[in-house]
Amino acid sequence: MNLRKVLSVDTIALDLKSDTKDGIIEEMIDLLMAAGKIRDLKDKKEALRVVLERERKMSTGMQNGIAIPHGKTDRVDNLVAAVALKKSGVDFGSLDGQPSRIFVMTLSPDTRTGPHIQFLAEISRQLNDPAVRDRILQAERPEDVLDILSS
Amino acid sequence: MLRLVLQLAVIFIAARLGGFVFSRWLKIPSVLGELCSGLLIGPYALGGMNIRGLGTLFPGTGDVLAVSPELYGFATIASILLLFLSGLESDLTLFARYSTVGIAVGVGGVIVSFIGGAWAAVLFRVAPSFSSPAALFLGVVSTATSVGITARILADKRKMDSPEGVTILAAAVLDDVLGIVLLAVVVAISRIQTAGGHVDWGDVGRICAKAVGFWIVFTAIGLLSARRITSVLKRLRSMEIITSIAFGLALLMAGLMEMAGLALIIGAYVTGLALSRTDVAHAIQNQLHGMYNMLVPVFFCVMGMLVNFAELKPVILFGLVYSIIAVAAKLIGCGLPAFLMNFNRLGAKRIGLGMVPRGEVALIVAGIGLSTGSIQHDVFGAAVMMTLLTTLLAPPLLAHSFDHRSGVRHRAEPSMEEIKTISLDFPSTDIASFMFSRLAQTFRNEEFFVYRLGPDVQTYQIRKDDMVFTLTQEGDSVQLSAPAKYEHVARFILLEELLTMQDLAKSFERMHNLDGMKSDLLKGVFDADE
Repeated sequence: MNLRKVLSVDTIALDLKSDTKDGIIEEMIDLLMAAGKIRDLKDKKEALRVVLERERKMSTGMQNGIAIPHGKTDRVDNLVAAVALKKSGVDFGSLDGQPSRIFVMTLSPDTRTGPHIQFLAEISRQLNDPAVRDRILQAERPEDVLDILSS
Repeated sequence: MLRLVLQLAVIFIAARLGGFVFSRWLKIPSVLGELCSGLLIGPYALGGMNIRGLGTLFPGTGDVLAVSPELYGFATIASILLLFLSGLESDLTLFARYSTVGIAVGVGGVIVSFIGGAWAAVLFRVAPSFSSPAALFLGVVSTATSVGITARILADKRKMDSPEGVTILAAAVLDDVLGIVLLAVVVAISRIQTAGGHVDWGDVGRICAKAVGFWIVFTAIGLLSARRITSVLKRLRSMEIITSIAFGLALLMAGLMEMAGLALIIGAYVTGLALSRTDVAHAIQNQLHGMYNMLVPVFFCVMGMLVNFAELKPVILFGLVYSIIAVAAKLIGCGLPAFLMNFNRLGAKRIGLGMVPRGEVALIVAGIGLSTGSIQHDVFGAAVMMTLLTTLLAPPLLAHSFDHRSGVRHRAEPSMEEIKTISLDFPSTDIASFMFSRLAQTFRNEEFFVYRLGPDVQTYQIRKDDMVFTLTQEGDSVQLSAPAKYEHVARFILLEELLTMQDLAKSFERMHNLDGMKSDLLKGVFDADE
């Protein structure tokens, strides 16, 4: 799976400001909107709703500081994704209770087919490698993150 | 025409009942039941009896082919359908992935079986020499594995994705191709000999080159143009029409191949193979399912009807030995290469056994031999006997050989990797089967190719690129098997579907008008006064 098709430097943020789970999610959706992946405020609101709804069912905070908030909505035509870091960590209600530091967000169309869950699975698997996580957390530019993930 | 209608009436009913008795009561593959019904109702048995006032149902023709050309025509159309489907079901991707071991096992099995079959014929003086039509036909008859029965057992035992399973399925693709090319060569040689001509090595070389050349050219053209053809056909927006046209193309190719001096089934198989790589392949298979269910039992039944018991008597011993050789040939020819390539003795035995069943191709080949006069009733009878015995013996032995033990040696290749099975238990069978079909749909939504292994098997095979998953339902549990490398994908998909299911259950509970809906359903239905 080619990550560069979905990810680009303008959907990668190295330093999120927020200290709360909801804040992190909103910041990442703003990032997607700034990159033109979400069209308008109405779509943004809907995107936020579906991602929070999914978090309500079960937190996407996994082990080792990784979280993969995601949602399905027809406000997007194709899978869109963002990667962001909060180096000091945020409580995401993760499986192992550890603060989450690396976030991968995806929004995928509800009624169109595509490797949406597969994308999340693949990227989570890459982040399962401690060396990859360390390199991402030490990245200085968004390009570096893109290089690490697509190598 | 009246007689044909009555004959078909008896065949349809008898074949299906025979299949039913064999599969349900005797737990034997149903094709054997269909074949045995044919033995029973054929012109050499019950069908040849004169019923007072009604005459004889299957009077015999005085020819080697004991059924009327019209009836044989039905069997021929069924054989074209069978081979078209068998081409269509071929998994070239799987074959490409396991081509090394697949080629070794497939070629090994074909060579040893061909030589074994022809040698047995000469040894028992059923055929005068190795190059005589009878020996050549008996050689070809014993080459082609009928993988359908093996696939069924692999699915039951959840071993479809095991190293042995994929090797058998990959080898079977090549086995089909080689068997059919060999048939073309043998048909051509026999035609010359039956016409009284002499065949020298130059002729054999020329015939082989022609058969292989035709095969390669038509398969290549087919594979290259199939996607273009289907994309045009898809504009018709009807799977029914597309299926009819595709089957029409199979018949057309079959005819062209026959005109070129090869055989009908070669054209049918090539057409199926060409279409197997298109995205409508699975839909065409589904559409043809009804026709398959109707026609294929007729084929097996008619093949049984052609067996002349009187002529079979002198060759019963030969038939037995020929059958034993046919079993041994696959065990050695397929097992040995497998043993030399990473499988241990148990794995090699499983692969050998999996390749043992012979079925439709063996019967079609024998039928062609009989109808062209290349072989006589005795040889045909021996071929049917071999088909019966191998199909009878292999399934229980194969099922028995699959236990918990591994069939590969320790130094496993990376491609022969570990399979992880994730099992989910639900409160009831209903919920499990709901989840089972939801998951199949989720995989489709993720753009996997999902297909059910059979209408009455609760197993889906799910593929994309080199990912192969197996989804099964057994009572109230649903299991997903995935290669260790892709276990994470399987787990993510299961989790997301489980969450969706949880939502569904909650929203159903919350339906505030549920009570109203329930009482509305019965309101006014049972309120009739006097």
